[in-house]
Amino acid sequence: MLVPLRYNFRSLLVRRSGTLLTVLGIAATVAILAGVLSLEAGFRTLFSESGREDLVVFLRPGSTNEGDSIWRRDVADRLVKTLPEIRRGADGRPLASRECYLAVLRTRIGGGKTNVPVRGVEPASFDIHGDGVRIVAGRRFRPGADEVIVGTKLVDRIRGCALGDVIQLNTTPLNVVGVFESEGPYTSEIWGDLDRMQAALVRPFPNRVIALLDPGTDVRALAKRLESDKETPAKAQTEREYLAAQTGALSATLLTLGGFLAVVMGLAAIFTATNTMLAAIASRTHEIGILLACGFRPLAVFLSFLGEALVLGLLGGALGCLIVVPLNGLETGATNFNTFTEVAFAFRVTPEVLAKAVIFSLVLGLLGGAAPAWRAARLAPVAALRRQ
Amino acid sequence: MNKLIRRSLLRHPVRTLLTIGSLAVALFLLCFLRSLVTTLEAGAAAANQQRLWVQSAVSLFVDLPLSYQGKIDGVDGVKGTCKWQWFGGYYRDQTNFFAQFAVDPEPLFAMWPEVEIAAGSKEAFLADKRACIVGEGLARQFGWKVGEAVPLIGALFQKADGSAWDFQIAAIYRAGRPTVDDRTFFFHWDYFEETMKEAMGETPQVGVFVIELEPGAAAPGVMASVDALFENGPQRVQTTTEAEFQRQFATMFGNVPRLISFIGGGVLLAILLACVNTMLMQAREQLREIGVMKALGFSDGAAALFLLSQSLLLVGTGGALGIGLALLTQRGIAGFLSRFFPGYAVQPLTLAAAIGVTAILGLLAGAVPARLAERTRTVEAMRPH
Repeated sequence: MLVPLRYNFRSLLVRRSGTLLTVLGIAATVAILAGVLSLEAGFRTLFSESGREDLVVFLRPGSTNEGDSIWRRDVADRLVKTLPEIRRGADGRPLASRECYLAVLRTRIGGGKTNVPVRGVEPASFDIHGDGVRIVAGRRFRPGADEVIVGTKLVDRIRGCALGDVIQLNTTPLNVVGVFESEGPYTSEIWGDLDRMQAALVRPFPNRVIALLDPGTDVRALAKRLESDKETPAKAQTEREYLAAQTGALSATLLTLGGFLAVVMGLAAIFTATNTMLAAIASRTHEIGILLACGFRPLAVFLSFLGEALVLGLLGGALGCLIVVPLNGLETGATNFNTFTEVAFAFRVTPEVLAKAVIFSLVLGLLGGAAPAWRAARLAPVAALRRQ
Repeated sequence: MNKLIRRSLLRHPVRTLLTIGSLAVALFLLCFLRSLVTTLEAGAAAANQQRLWVQSAVSLFVDLPLSYQGKIDGVDGVKGTCKWQWFGGYYRDQTNFFAQFAVDPEPLFAMWPEVEIAAGSKEAFLADKRACIVGEGLARQFGWKVGEAVPLIGALFQKADGSAWDFQIAAIYRAGRPTVDDRTFFFHWDYFEETMKEAMGETPQVGVFVIELEPGAAAPGVMASVDALFENGPQRVQTTTEAEFQRQFATMFGNVPRLISFIGGGVLLAILLACVNTMLMQAREQLREIGVMKALGFSDGAAALFLLSQSLLLVGTGGALGIGLALLTQRGIAGFLSRFFPGYAVQPLTLAAAIGVTAILGLLAGAVPARLAERTRTVEAMRPH
């Protein structure tokens, strides 16, 4: 027969201050783990969930991101014109866009410098992205004009990025004529006409090519063919694959940091929980004697105290989650180590993050309670009863 | 009395050990987190006032024409200049990441006195165009010795025949100040220029120019003159102090320092609660002894001091262990983090702050039970419960 759980709840209530202090300690640990995890989840979601499967990104062979992918212009042109798999638009032109990309130095509102991506695109880009890129204020830039549009996330973060402002790139002033919205990392970018951007930046080469393919095209087979192609060697991947690959370095850093903090702080929390449980058991030696004398098995006593520790952990976990939930949706910026550009994204306290946090808190309770519960179960009833 | 304090703490050896353990962990973590922040800021903090950095006003990834050097040299107040070009190659495997720069060899030593020769010689480096000088950290990582041949694969800059670039280690340097990383690989600009001319048919461009000011020259004036020189292109430049130049790398980390402070605050709160918890348990169990002490004639103050001293001794031991752990692991962590946080080190100021935090924790955790002890009425304390 098991000891009723009510006994444990009552005991936790009787020792209010100790319970509260332990729960708060566990909560702080769990909150930090959950905070770092939701930061990572926000970053990863921004990149991997916004990518499309039917959109293909072509990079120069051997490069891992558009920052270090540099195409010879004639090769990029040939790729767009000759690749049979590229879908045609209503006007018969290929639905492909050569793009140039450069991280430019900008001043943050509130001080400090940061790298903002500037992307030069061709008119076909808007057809390719369709609803994926929506103008929310102003209008699109005109082809061939010194005009740009900016992502919504830049407007409040980077100086000179409001509608009507002028962005100076080297010796060329560019008018901000529109603000656009998108689900992915594009919202932290400045977009303009490909030729004008290349001229302004004095960089006469595209960095990547994007294209829509005919329905049913096998991207893997295409990638394999282009890898060893003589005329247009390229590294082809879907946009989803491309974006997912961009999160590697930062995600790994955050997960390492989160894991390290969780282990180290968890250790401290386990020590505290053990202390609290030991004190609880020491002051209840007499009661334990009674339980054992009543006929409760040592196993039941062990499980009872382990359960009490689990409740402690769970309370801490729940409180920790409550602390983190308001972070959901909070905007922050971080540098994507792959391109050294800053992207804005929001904390995402997902159910998965919360589940991990709660499991972590239970593990803390379990590890903290195991030794004291073992000690309680091993007490000899007569000796325990004798103690005051 | 001292003996009594020690004995009281040892009455529950497990509890005392666990508390000391969690304190050690927390103080270690605080030192570690604080050191991450100071490491980010170290370059800017130690910056040299005599050096200015000229970079493209557009982007860190845009190079400047070679011809700029002569024009910058002609500006009043400029004593000399040094070219730096990011090479971006790798040694054997792409995961072996470290910084390599093509530089003007003589100005490197003239302008960076903190680059101290640890092995080999300056003359050997200057004499041979294919010579390189590497930091101690790098030499340690790859087991490099002076005289060893080191081939680098050029990821950004490829040779005409696509083969590896050949370098020979002429010297190993020690970084005298945090302005220089001890994991950098410097080689001759001339070798770079010649090879690239052969491969591309044109002169390569320069990443940044570093200016050494004449003694007494005013930096703001020189910065404005250099920027004005290239106002009309082909590439506008931005000249900054070394502190400002370094800071732009730290600000790239965005909110990371603030995030770290939040985490540090959480750690502190959790550990304070744990200490208060332990001390309250101690006090509750020692109520009787306190009654006995008071009955024997010890004052209320002495009873309070008795508990406060226990707290200070307990927290002090844990704190000292944690700080010691932070110092002991410094080397290992520095090696592990060398890619993102080069030059990780626990600063003396961090240590001082950690000691201060320990003292405050001890006082706070002791205050509540001490007050309890002070207020306890002798008769009540001695009554059996």
